[in-house]
Amino acid sequence: MAKRTRFLTVLLLAGLILSPLPGQQTVTVRVQVRDYADFTRLTLESSSRLDTRLTRTGGILEIHVDSPDSLRLRTAPVSSRLIRSVAWGRSDGRHVLSVVLRSSDFTYNAFTASRPFQLMVDFKEGEAAAPPPVRKEGAAPKSAAQPAVRPPSGVRTIVIDPGHGGIEPGAKGRFGTLEKDVTLPIALKLKAVIEKNLSFRVVMTRDKDMAVSLESRAALANNNDAMLFISIHANGSYKQSSHGSETFFLSLNASDEDVRRLAYFENTQAELEGHIAAQEEEQDVLRMILWDMAQSAYIRQSSRLAELIQAELNALLGTANRGIKQAPFKVLAEVACPAVLVEAAFLSNPDEERRLLNEEFQNNVALAIYQGLVNYIRLYPPEGGR
Amino acid sequence: MPRRRLLLLVVPGLTLCLAAFFFFFQNRGEAPRELKDISVPPETASAAGEDETRTVVLYFLSDQDGLLHPEQRTIPAGPAVEWEARRLIEELIKGSRTGLISPLPPESELRQVFMIRGGTAVVDFSKEFADRHPSGSTAEMTTIYCLVNSLTRNFSAIKQVFFLVNGNERETLNGHISLAKPFLPLRSLIAE
Repeated sequence: MAKRTRFLTVLLLAGLILSPLPGQQTVTVRVQVRDYADFTRLTLESSSRLDTRLTRTGGILEIHVDSPDSLRLRTAPVSSRLIRSVAWGRSDGRHVLSVVLRSSDFTYNAFTASRPFQLMVDFKEGEAAAPPPVRKEGAAPKSAAQPAVRPPSGVRTIVIDPGHGGIEPGAKGRFGTLEKDVTLPIALKLKAVIEKNLSFRVVMTRDKDMAVSLESRAALANNNDAMLFISIHANGSYKQSSHGSETFFLSLNASDEDVRRLAYFENTQAELEGHIAAQEEEQDVLRMILWDMAQSAYIRQSSRLAELIQAELNALLGTANRGIKQAPFKVLAEVACPAVLVEAAFLSNPDEERRLLNEEFQNNVALAIYQGLVNYIRLYPPEGGR
Repeated sequence: MPRRRLLLLVVPGLTLCLAAFFFFFQNRGEAPRELKDISVPPETASAAGEDETRTVVLYFLSDQDGLLHPEQRTIPAGPAVEWEARRLIEELIKGSRTGLISPLPPESELRQVFMIRGGTAVVDFSKEFADRHPSGSTAEMTTIYCLVNSLTRNFSAIKQVFFLVNGNERETLNGHISLAKPFLPLRSLIAE
């Protein structure tokens, strides 16, 4: 016992001597492994930025971590389909996290996020697995030894807004399904697929069943300088047979005749753009004055985004092109970036109510929105730090 | 001490109430002035006879195509556009006689209809209009434009419609469509 105490004292002294200079701080690094439907994600999180480098040997992936700070290393217990164990070690004065996989037949995909710093590594089974379905130029998820470390200023935010929540249930299906309960899982799936494939930060207006005012949803997007705002809903109609997915963007519903002509324009894109261009300068000034009209300056991009998402939804569901629609949605009006509202399907239609509860359908809707989003980002690449 | 505090609360409270009263009183004072110009034709028309009626077109929802279909109805002719608009909305709440859908909660009660500047009809419903609404973007759009398209179709004095619920402005009908601004007719929802 006494021996052990002495040993600890020596260790402590050694620790003090070897401890970092006063200017340094101790940073906690947490490692966590989670299984998802078709991949396993390892997340390494730290309150300050770390330099990371990945090397692979057989069934082991080593993550070399470099930091000016001293690190306190934490790992949550691992229980995963693909990963057998994770363990910290040291090599060349660096901390190394060894990730041991159950098989050497795997592919991985690494990317980072900031504030807090996160390195995420997604593992998939199968050597020859295809690269992630889509990539965005300049911000492609780095696949090999270099995780994408983008400067925080360059990381853009996408805000996902699962409709309703808490005491505000939204539309109700015949079997009692509530809109708020299907918008959340679709939104979470969309968040996962964006984070998996693109280096964007995703902010959710809610991530659990809670009431959030429409104003604060828009404010959250504006305060985060969001690049895109996507609101997810499930439709309700008096006509029980109404079916299909629809993507909306804001109609201004203003009393002014000119603005009205812009707002209710039939959706031929060329004409729409012509009309919008004529209004845009005016709208830009308006935007500064009327916060509740913030969206009016982004109608053109929003209609484009809606069109691209709707195209994917049509392809996915094999429905006739219902076109994009406009309506004066309160939640879109105050958002100061391109913003759309996706009605995944009709809760008022019993068949679609069942589909909305189906995880695969939810996944497909999330994927369609994601694909539309990627196509939009190709057309309008983000400019670093707007 | 508590009494003084109570007084501190009551005095500004009363002042506010008085201010609000005058504010609304003044506002309402404007409406009749507008009305004089607008309601001249109906007035002379109704003067001819007590039992005069007029035929109006109501829009109801079709379960076939999801569009608004016209249905004719005879309502008593009234002295002013508000009066007739009131009868028309009550008919909409009562529902269709040809199997179309009335996209208004049957519990809805119409509190009042009045005209303000710019051909805007203000339609004030009881709270059931919004609270009993089934919610959903399409359902909310249908409800709003069943009213707006019916009113603007029949009364040339009504150019747009603004909704109040229980006398107050309301953010959305029931979670989706904003009621912050007056609505112009939307012909694309009409089957014709």
